[in-house]
Amino acid sequence: MHFVVCAKQIPDPETPPSAFKIDEATNTVVPAQGFQPVLSQYDGIAAEAALQIKEAQGDDAKITVLSVGAESAQAAIKQVLAMGADEGVLLQDDAFEDGDSHTTAKVLAAAISNLGDVDAVFCGRQAADWDVGQVGLLVAEALGWPVAILAKDVEISDGSMKTTRVLADGFETVSQGLPAVVTVSNEFGEPRYPKLQQIMQAAKKTVTTMTHEDLGLDPSEVGSSGARLKLEKLYIPQSDSQVEIIEGETPEEQATNLVAKLVADKVL
Amino acid sequence: MVANSSTQNNRLQSQLIGKWWMPAIALSLGGLYLAMQFSATEGAGRESFFNVAHPWSVYVFMSSLVGLLVYGLVRHATLWRLGKDTPESVFANLPHRFKNVFRLGVAQDKVRRDRYAAVMHWSISSSIVVLTLVTAQVAIQDDTPLNFLHGSYYLFFSFYGDLFGLIGLIGVGMAMWRRYFIDFSRIRWDERPEDHLIIVGLGLVLLSGFFVEAFRIEVTELTQHPDWAKWSFVSYVLANLFEIFSMSDNQILWSHSAMWWTHVVLAFSWLALIVFTRLDHLFFAPINAFLLRTDSPGRLSTIPNIEEQEIFGVGYVQDFSWKQLFELDACVRCGRCTDVCPANLAGQPLSPMHLIQDLKGHLASVGPSIQKVGNEGGDTRSVSPISMVGEVIQDETLWACRTCGACVQECPVMIEHVPTIVDMRRFLVMDEARLPQTAQAALQNIEMRGHPWSGTALERTTWMDGLGDVPIFDGTQDYLYWVGCSGSLVERNLPVTKAVFRLLQESGSSFGVLGQEETCNGDPARRLGNEYLYQILAEQLIGTFKEKNVQKVITNCPHCFNTFKNEYPQFDGHFEVLHHTEFLNSQLQSGALKVQHELPDTVTYHDSCYLGRINGVYDAPRQILNFIPGTNIQEMERNMSKGLCCGAGGGNMWQEEVGERRVNHVRSEEAIATGANKVVSNCPFCIQMFEDGVPAMQPDEVGRIEPFDVAEILELAVFGEQDSSIEEKTEI
Repeated sequence: MHFVVCAKQIPDPETPPSAFKIDEATNTVVPAQGFQPVLSQYDGIAAEAALQIKEAQGDDAKITVLSVGAESAQAAIKQVLAMGADEGVLLQDDAFEDGDSHTTAKVLAAAISNLGDVDAVFCGRQAADWDVGQVGLLVAEALGWPVAILAKDVEISDGSMKTTRVLADGFETVSQGLPAVVTVSNEFGEPRYPKLQQIMQAAKKTVTTMTHEDLGLDPSEVGSSGARLKLEKLYIPQSDSQVEIIEGETPEEQATNLVAKLVADKVL
Repeated sequence: MVANSSTQNNRLQSQLIGKWWMPAIALSLGGLYLAMQFSATEGAGRESFFNVAHPWSVYVFMSSLVGLLVYGLVRHATLWRLGKDTPESVFANLPHRFKNVFRLGVAQDKVRRDRYAAVMHWSISSSIVVLTLVTAQVAIQDDTPLNFLHGSYYLFFSFYGDLFGLIGLIGVGMAMWRRYFIDFSRIRWDERPEDHLIIVGLGLVLLSGFFVEAFRIEVTELTQHPDWAKWSFVSYVLANLFEIFSMSDNQILWSHSAMWWTHVVLAFSWLALIVFTRLDHLFFAPINAFLLRTDSPGRLSTIPNIEEQEIFGVGYVQDFSWKQLFELDACVRCGRCTDVCPANLAGQPLSPMHLIQDLKGHLASVGPSIQKVGNEGGDTRSVSPISMVGEVIQDETLWACRTCGACVQECPVMIEHVPTIVDMRRFLVMDEARLPQTAQAALQNIEMRGHPWSGTALERTTWMDGLGDVPIFDGTQDYLYWVGCSGSLVERNLPVTKAVFRLLQESGSSFGVLGQEETCNGDPARRLGNEYLYQILAEQLIGTFKEKNVQKVITNCPHCFNTFKNEYPQFDGHFEVLHHTEFLNSQLQSGALKVQHELPDTVTYHDSCYLGRINGVYDAPRQILNFIPGTNIQEMERNMSKGLCCGAGGGNMWQEEVGERRVNHVRSEEAIATGANKVVSNCPFCIQMFEDGVPAMQPDEVGRIEPFDVAEILELAVFGEQDSSIEEKTEI
C-alpha cells in the first residue's frame, strides 16, 4: 500500500506575542527573529496515524510525505521521515506562493496523481497557522476521492478505510472505499519521538523537489494567481481592558454599588 | 569573613572523625614503649605451633584458600570482561588513583559518613588486617630463618594482637547491635543469610582465637612467666578465669588443641566467604576506589562518533563498561544510597541499591550464556530472555533519577550509579524512543526552539525591560553573563536575572550578555539521555563562544555552570566558569560590592545539587548571606554534601512524578521545619520547586516561608529594594 502524508511548515505557534509582528502594508507576517518555522503539529499526528497503519500492515506499505512550501520546508519533511516515513517530495515553486486552501489542494492533488498508486492520504485536521482546515477536503474534491475529517481513529483493511470521527456531541464511525482522504484530529494521540537511528537515516535521504512543470500545472491556476480567497486586511487585534475596583465597607454595600454602576452604564 | 558556625561545626566534626583512629595507634605505640622498658628478659617468647600435631596442615588450608580466591576472581573476571572499555583509561592520572585507594579504600572516607558505622567498620577491618599480620608473623618466625618473635618485640606483639582482637570484637558487637537489637532498617532492605554468617562467623573466629591463646598461656606462662602473660591482656584475664575450672594440664592441652583446630577451620572458612559473599568488598572496595573516575562527578561520558554507533547507550548488560560491571560486584547492600535517594524518600520507584543488585543478578544469570554465545560468534543480544532495560530495570525507575549524586556521594564502595542510570536512559531515548510524554515535549522543544520551556510567552530579552542599556557581549568585556533559558523564559526567575544584572553593574564589572543569541547548552538533553542532541547543541554553542572570544562565563544556573565547567572541555570548550554566587561573593570580599542595608531575617539555605554536592561550592553562597547584617542562617538537617535535591534534577523539571509524594514537598517540609522565613537557593529549578512545594505543605499564606535566590537577597541588601520594573509587572 502507498500512503501520503501532507505536511506543512508554519511559523512557530509558540512565538511569544511580543515577538509576533505583522506588516500591515503587505498583509504579511514578519518572520520573528530567532524563531524557526516548525512542522504544523496536526500534521505530525496525521503522520503518526499513517505510521501506525503502516506498521500494522507490515513491510510492504510505503509512506510519502508531501509539502507545499519553501526550501526551508525540507526540515518539516525530514521530521516526518525521521518518524519513519519512506520518501519526501517538496512541491516548491515561485508559482505556488501566496495561494489559498484551494490552490494548495490543487498542487497536492496533482502530486498525488503523479505518484500514481496512492491508496490513502493523511492530512492534519488543519494547519496551526491559519487554522482554515480545508486543504484535506479540497484534495479529496480535486482527486474525486471520499474523505473523512476529524478522525480520532483510523483503520485500513480489505480495501476500505474505517474512521471514528469526533463530533460536537460524540463520535461517528464511518467506512469509505480506498483510495480515500482522512484528516486526523488531535484526539488521535501524540506523534512519536523519533529513534536516533531513524533521524540519521532521514538526514541522509534526499527530498525530491517538484515544480509546476513536473506536475503539469498551469502557473495561472495555482498560487496567488489561482487563489479564490483574497486577503483584505491582516492585523493584530487590540485588546484593552479597564479595571475599576468597586468601593464599599461591606460585601453588601459593594454589591449595591456594583449594581448601581451596572445600571448607570446601561449594562443592566 | 568566615563561613557560618554550623558549617564550621561540620568541618570540625569531620576532622575529628578523621582522627579517631589516632588513639589506637597511640595505644599501640605506648605498648611498644612499655614493652621496651619493662621486658626484663631477652628470653620472652613462645614456641610456634605449640601443642599442635600437624602444623603443616595450616598450609593446606592456606593453599586451598588461595585456590578458592583465584577461582572466585576468575569467575567474576569472565563476567566483567563482557563489558566494553572504560571511557577514560583507568591508568590515567595514577597519583590521584592511588590517593583514592588510600583515602577511600584504606582510610574509608565514605564509610565514615555514618559515624556509628565508621567506628564499627574500622574496628572490624583494622582487626582483620592486624590479626592477619599477627598470624603471618608466626608463620615467618616458624618457617623462615628469621627469628624475631622474642624479647620485647614478642611482648609488644602479644599486646597488639590482643588489642586488635578486642577491637574486632567490639566492632562485631556494634554490628550485631545494629542488626539484631535496634530498628535499623536500611541494612535489612536486602538482608541475606550470608550477612549473619559473616558477622557471627567473625565473632566466633575472634573468640576462638582468644580461647586458644588463653589455654596456651594457662599451661606455659601463667605460673612460669606471669609478667609475660600480662601482655596478652585479654587472654590473660580469660586464662585466669579458666583457673576456676581447675583442669588438669592434660585437659587444658586437649582443650587447647581442639580450640586451635576450631579456630583454624573457622578462620579459613570465614576467609573463604570472600569468594561467595559480599565480603569480597575487602578487595573490591579498594580496587573500585582505584577505578573511580578522576574527573568531576558532574561529567557524563561522551559517546564518541555517535553517528557510527550500532546501539546508543546501554540496552544490554554487555553494553556497560567492564568497570560498570565490576562495580555491581562491589556493592555490599548497605543501603546508604537508597537511604539518601530523593526519589526513594518520596516513595518513588527508584532504589539505587536495588538497581545495582538487580543488574548484578541479571549479569550473573545471563552473563555466562552471553560469554558462551559470544565465543561461538553468535548474536549476544538475543541471549537474555528478558530485556534489561524495561523488565530487569523498569523505565520509571530510570526516569525517577534526579542525577543529584547523593547515592554516589554516600556509596562506601565508590559505585557510580548516576552514569549507569543515564547510560540506560540513553538507550531508552535514542534507541527505543521510549520516554515520558512530558520529557519528550521538553526535548522536542529544545530541538525546535532551543529551550526546554514549551509554552513560554517570554522572550530571551524580556528580562531586560526597564533595566536601561544592557551590554551585549562583543568580546571586549571580561565576562559573559549567561542568563540561561530558565533565567529568561520562566517568569519567576526574571527577578533573579535582574538582580544578578544589577549587582554585576553595581560592582563595576566588565560584562555582557548574549540576549537573543543564547540557546540551550544541552544539559537537559544530556541528562534526559539524548546525547545526540546534547552534542549538537554543545558543539554549536562552543563555536559561538569561541567566535565571540568568550573566556570567562558567569552563569545564573548551576546546571549551566556544571555543563560549561565540566562537560564542555570534553568538546574542546575550555572556559573559566563561575556561578553567580561565587562571583558576587568575590565582589563582596574585594569591596566592589557593598552591603548598605540591614535585613533582619532568619533564612535557611538550600544547596542545589549541581552547585553543592557535585561542584563543591558550599561556602560562597553562605558567605554572601553572612555578609548581610541581621541575616541568620538556620541550616536544614540535610545540608551541604548531604543536601537533598529539590526534585527537579535530571530532567525531572519536565516530568510528571510517579509515586507516593513529590520530592519538592519533602524538601519544602524540611525547609519549613527550620522555622526560617525564607528558603534561599541558587538555582532556578530549586526556586520553582519551592514555589510549588511550599504552598502545598504550608497552605496558610500567613507566615509562609518564601523562596528566594541568593542574588535577590543580596540585591535587597545592596540597593534596599528590588528593581522597580518587577513591581510594575506584578501589578498588571
